[in-house]
Amino acid sequence: MRIPIICMSILLSSCGGGGPPQPPLVATEIVVTAPMPGSGMSAAYLTLKNNSSQTISISRVTSAQYASVQLHETTIEDGVARMRAVPELEVPAGRTVTLQRGGKHLMLMRPTGSTGTVSLQFFDEDALVLSVETAIESRSKDEHDGR
Amino acid sequence: MRPKNLIIAFALAIALAAGVFVAARLQTPASLNTAFLLPAPTPLPAFSLVDQAGNPVTPDTFRNHWNLVFFGFTHCPDICPTTLQILAAARKELVSSGQEPIPRIVLVSVDPERDSPGVIGRYVDHFGVGNLGITGQLEELRKLTSSLGVFFEKQAGDEENYAVDHYAGVILINPDAEFHALFSGPHEVRNFVHDIPLLMAGR
Repeated sequence: MRIPIICMSILLSSCGGGGPPQPPLVATEIVVTAPMPGSGMSAAYLTLKNNSSQTISISRVTSAQYASVQLHETTIEDGVARMRAVPELEVPAGRTVTLQRGGKHLMLMRPTGSTGTVSLQFFDEDALVLSVETAIESRSKDEHDGR
Repeated sequence: MRPKNLIIAFALAIALAAGVFVAARLQTPASLNTAFLLPAPTPLPAFSLVDQAGNPVTPDTFRNHWNLVFFGFTHCPDICPTTLQILAAARKELVSSGQEPIPRIVLVSVDPERDSPGVIGRYVDHFGVGNLGITGQLEELRKLTSSLGVFFEKQAGDEENYAVDHYAGVILINPDAEFHALFSGPHEVRNFVHDIPLLMAGR
């Protein structure tokens, strides 16, 4: 289930011609998976669009609902899946970067409680550049039951 | 050449072409989408692991079931749940289409340090009823993985936060507890739904 986002953008201003100014960094297609029974792990997938004229580098992501959030990337080479931390995620000026299953993603660890809603704050060094809030993916057990 | 001989020659040519076509189909399962069928099924070696209830798991555990086996771990947030979701969706489609028998989904943990029977049990239950979660001693796990050519390797990290590199394919083990076929990926529901009945019927 893809949830519309509530999005605030901070820090970088963009000055277009006419019309209202666009937020510098916008997130769409946000999916946060429910914490997995047993391990409590979740993943977040989303698309980031940089509307500004400067590269935005995401170096840290936090969430009030998880003790730890890390940027990771899954790669599959020679049939072997590897997951590695990504120190920094660059979103070049005017470009879009997609975090998706089997690729770059956010790894959310140790949920602090279940509220049904997750907030994520994206930082470029110490500057907050994006804050989003979304519902946790609804994934009923029935969807997976065979019979 | 007389017309009668011409007809005979033409008929022989057609028969030869048909024979070559059928032979090719029999020798290479060209109708499979992505699965690789082993030329000769390989029996599983002796090993001793445990399931989510703490019951012993040996090669006999795989008997009398078709088993779709994935090697992963519960602290893997991306590729493992994605693959298990694909398997669960494929299984559901096979049930809906009236396929018999229905393969069992099996997760073998490559992270037995964190994946106790209870942890892997709650994890596999999330993906459906009747799934099998397997964990146990590392040396026993290696007996199974090495016989199947399955690679896994724990990466550096702290006690709670580390990754395990692991083979991303799905292995089909037949009801005689033999390594039967392989889906090397990338995985798609439609390929499992298409290939599994063919693999089971062709046995």
